[in-house]
Amino acid sequence: MSAPLRDERAAKLKSAMKDAGIDLLVLAANAWRVDYLRYALDVIPMEGEAIALIAADQAAQLFVDNPMEAQRIQLEQPGLRVSWSPTVLADAERAIAASNAKNIGIAPGAAMPSRLAKGALGASIAATTALMDRLMVNKTEGEADAVERATAMADAGYDIFRKAARVGRREYELVADTEAWFRSQGCPENFMILGSGGREVRGMHPPGDRKLVAGDLVTTELTPCVDGYYAQICRTLVLGQPSQAQLDAYAVYREALEAGIAAVRPGATHGQVALAQNEVFRRHGLGDYVTSEYTRVRGHGLGLFVDGPHVLEDVKQVLAPGMTLIVHPNTYHPEVGYIVLGDTVRVTEDGCRVLTKTPRELISMPV
Amino acid sequence: MRRGLMSWSLEEMPVAALDKRVARLQAAMHAKNMGAVLVYTSFAQPSAVHWLTNFTPYWSEALAVVLPEGAPILLASLTKRVHLWIKEVSHLADVVMAPRLGADAVTFLADKTAPGQRIGIVGMDSLPWSVAQPLFSAIPADRLVDASAMFAALRQPGDSYEHALFDKAANIAANAFKAVPAQAKKVSEITAAIEASARMAGAEELLLRFAPDLGKSVVLQRMEGDASLGATWAVEASVAYKGVWVRLGRSMASGVTPTSWSAANQWFDKASKISGAALNGASYGEAPGKLLSVSLEASIGIHPLSVIAAKDIPPVFALPEGTHAVLSAQLALADGHWYRAGPSVL
Repeated sequence: MSAPLRDERAAKLKSAMKDAGIDLLVLAANAWRVDYLRYALDVIPMEGEAIALIAADQAAQLFVDNPMEAQRIQLEQPGLRVSWSPTVLADAERAIAASNAKNIGIAPGAAMPSRLAKGALGASIAATTALMDRLMVNKTEGEADAVERATAMADAGYDIFRKAARVGRREYELVADTEAWFRSQGCPENFMILGSGGREVRGMHPPGDRKLVAGDLVTTELTPCVDGYYAQICRTLVLGQPSQAQLDAYAVYREALEAGIAAVRPGATHGQVALAQNEVFRRHGLGDYVTSEYTRVRGHGLGLFVDGPHVLEDVKQVLAPGMTLIVHPNTYHPEVGYIVLGDTVRVTEDGCRVLTKTPRELISMPV
Repeated sequence: MRRGLMSWSLEEMPVAALDKRVARLQAAMHAKNMGAVLVYTSFAQPSAVHWLTNFTPYWSEALAVVLPEGAPILLASLTKRVHLWIKEVSHLADVVMAPRLGADAVTFLADKTAPGQRIGIVGMDSLPWSVAQPLFSAIPADRLVDASAMFAALRQPGDSYEHALFDKAANIAANAFKAVPAQAKKVSEITAAIEASARMAGAEELLLRFAPDLGKSVVLQRMEGDASLGATWAVEASVAYKGVWVRLGRSMASGVTPTSWSAANQWFDKASKISGAALNGASYGEAPGKLLSVSLEASIGIHPLSVIAAKDIPPVFALPEGTHAVLSAQLALADGHWYRAGPSVL
């Protein structure tokens, strides 16, 4: 955990709350949505629910529903007032009522329990969530540096994954090797999914017990976390020599990735980055495969959450220096199956810097 | 946010077992005149839907809809491409694409329930507002009912299939502790070994907390980075196997095991055979040291494990005999701190 990053974020949050006239900020978090609480207080709930009350003039209060979580968080952040009870929502509700704050903002809608939002406070969710989102998307240099460190971790983790992918091994064994390696590096968190097979593969998923066979395309996205910040790499490898069809298909993805990265610059939108990638597919007669039938997004923001603003043609998020995102034209190819290829980039003053160092070639692993 | 092996073994979890669980919920719904029950699931709140359908989302969120008859229907925010995988790993009547989960649930319920029929929501208070708001806006308040207590009342003591998975998860954790290198000097050596062992054995998820030096503190930490090990240290592994969670925690010594630990372990072994009646009296027996904390957890709702009773907190729920729960305790002994966690069958 990084005290300098924590303090930097806390200062920005305090200023934003003052500008917005928010006397009391109420944040909710759980194991899925840790980002808002991490931003505000450098706290990550490992399980259960966490509700934070943050006022400008006093130590923040944190309510959790597990005694071990309370102990852990109190040790990590001694400046907080941490308590636990089995009735965490009722306790938080009482504390909010007792605060006498005039202007309360609650966030985010994706994690805020209905019990706390269903009254008058619910009206504040959209604006407060947007305030927090702006803070998280517009990163400081220190925050973007953390994403760079995470990208280096992703590159190294992919090398472990690549070496683990051998004929006869089961999908979950590849993940076991990769996760163990991340723990050996002190990296506590990684989101990864994968796929293996041929034309029948439509996407990636958590590992199953399928055994890898020669000729398989093996796809994965790794998303490790360093100091709370996530970076991602998406790569495809083939077990054995790639077929010409696989090489031809992959060339389209590489062209699309390069087109997408070329579109990343201050003032451009996520939509333009998506369009640049999709136009490559359309030029190659693969326009059907850039629709939601076959692909989710063409990339997304990266930071304290693995899935920031989406890179899709209708997304108007404007890029600015310091923002970090992954560009990935991942989708199904009708001749060979699902292919992924993605690099994390950092927006600079006049374009972007590609942070991912792993070569973009279709990797061939010996069988 | 890590996921290991996610699959469905018909041998470990037959369709009939899932049908029986759903039928119990449907019987309770009938008794309470409910036309449907909604059960939310996400990475953070997976357990109620998993118990009913074997489905756990690795990503995004969904609502399982239990109607008076038949297997549940899943309204899924996950993209349609993933529906095939969802059907492979779960027992559902159907998977319906629902990108606007709350609003799509409103539409779905309007079609499937009669006007005025009550609709229960398991974990209603915790339902994320982004999903709850459309429901609360569209459906009159007197129709929406918190079904958490109803669900908790039938959730435990669990069936034999769940108990077998519970035991398997505990064995995975126990074997993972055996894989800890004897000469480890750093936390990362231990977490890597536990992670490799557990995931190779098929753990779906693994959460590790660590107290690197029991001579200094018994607080179990989330390890970001690394730390050197003290002469004594403690580790807690929370393992999910096929959706069933258990915690195993051990105090370990790099050299000589403190003599006080023998009595502590004996006390814990006895305390973990606690009965429901003793739990009501918050009686765990006389600990051989200062009891810093104790808690009993079980799965009764949306979260994998919920605290049922703890030090100075009377039980919040009457667990039936046979419930497979988890007991955790921390002691301050004459020669240092000590921690342990493990299965407790009431």
